[in-house]
Amino acid sequence: MRRRVAVTGLGVISSCGNNINDFSANIMAGKSGVRRISSEFSNLLSVKVAAEVDFNPFDYFNKKQVSSLDRVNQFALAAASQAWKDAKLSLDAKEKERSGVYMGTGLGGANAIEDGYVRLFKENADRVKPLSVLMIMSNASASYLSIEYGLTGPCLTVSTACASSSNAIGEAFRQIRDGYADVMLAGGTEAFLTYGVFRSWEALRVLAMEDPDDPSKSCKPFSKNRSGLVLGEGAAVVVLEEMERAVRHGAPLYAEILGYGSTSDAFHMTKPSFERQAQAISEAIREAGISSEDIDYINAHGTATQWNDLLETQAIKKVFGDYAYKVPVSSTKSMHGHTIGAAGAIEFVVSLLAIKNQAIPPTTNLDQPDPECDLDYVPNIGRKGVKVNTVMSNSFAFGGTNAVLIARKTEG
Amino acid sequence: MSTIERLKKLFIDKFDFNVEELKPETTLEYLGLDSLDKIEFMFDIENEFRIKIPDQEFKVTTIQDMVDAIDRFVSEQLLSSPNLAMST
Repeated sequence: MRRRVAVTGLGVISSCGNNINDFSANIMAGKSGVRRISSEFSNLLSVKVAAEVDFNPFDYFNKKQVSSLDRVNQFALAAASQAWKDAKLSLDAKEKERSGVYMGTGLGGANAIEDGYVRLFKENADRVKPLSVLMIMSNASASYLSIEYGLTGPCLTVSTACASSSNAIGEAFRQIRDGYADVMLAGGTEAFLTYGVFRSWEALRVLAMEDPDDPSKSCKPFSKNRSGLVLGEGAAVVVLEEMERAVRHGAPLYAEILGYGSTSDAFHMTKPSFERQAQAISEAIREAGISSEDIDYINAHGTATQWNDLLETQAIKKVFGDYAYKVPVSSTKSMHGHTIGAAGAIEFVVSLLAIKNQAIPPTTNLDQPDPECDLDYVPNIGRKGVKVNTVMSNSFAFGGTNAVLIARKTEG
Repeated sequence: MSTIERLKKLFIDKFDFNVEELKPETTLEYLGLDSLDKIEFMFDIENEFRIKIPDQEFKVTTIQDMVDAIDRFVSEQLLSSPNLAMST
């Protein structure tokens, strides 16, 4: 029997806010977290903008934890603690056995690996920090969450680049729906704004040029003058619970997850396939048991690269037909940047906030419409007081993994 | 500065301890240091005292044990490595 799955807690660490209220207000108001990065190496780079998180680890952790947790793990723990408190969770030993953690990350402990290399290759040191292995390994964040909350059920890390945390949430949803778990912490985390990582993205020629008038406007999804993506960092974690349990203990009910689509382009590492994106969207809609016209808002992958925005538009048209021109579609990456392994989770949170606020966040920096991107992208100004019952969040990754989540407002 | 004073400073830089807690007879167990904490702290000790602590040779229970072990490594390694002695 398929069980129903509720989202009962939200947590976020983002350049647009380190808690749900600030994040929600900023995203709805179109306030960008993109700016020139603070790191010293920025003067070496041709692209100096990113969506950097303003985060003092000592606000969250003691000295020992600060030195032994990579920034990526710090983000995950900080976001999870918000979600945990929000859901008012309190689990006994038996319940903890039925609870797990699925997290997504692209690069894991990118700061720790780069620090280690700098010591070894630049400073000619003969050793690295003792806990480097634990700081670098991609599954550390999920493990820290499992340890922190004593969750002894499944604990997995998904690494599918830009789709990582949509996959993590989708797979966690199925764990509960299909009876393998009752409670899951699910989300994603990324903290990779290092010199080496910037150089790697720069080399791939997909980063946006800095807007000459206002660096915070450098990411321009669906706009004719879009020039690429803006890297971002952050984390988002949601609490998923089996619906009856959630109702019984009086948890906040943000939404019910209805469907999840997961496909692979099987085509090219960076050029997307709109057919396989459309397949992922269609599968999510089918699993949700709804009609495509039930969807009130789409949070686009919307990276602001030439290919993504064009092909994602085509994928939406392929599935939605005439309704594609009516449903609002926005890319909030224009504000919180592309956070890779955290992107799907952050944008799923944005989608749930659209339900909570009954409001649609805008695609900012969209002043020059691209004739080939001709949907309703909610340009520049969010919309309040609109009916938002059912939302969809798209994630389409380098490597060709596509993940789509659909959630619906809970009754009552 | 004496070995114990330098060690106390390392403890305070690394952890949230009060200096009053750090007596010679205080055990690492009392301070709540687990095996990973010890490994991390050994790295700081090696840096501070310019010594190498060989694997398996830092079996200490109290802060005084740490002081004794550090003093022993310092004197042994100064003797065996005059270059290192000059650099410190």
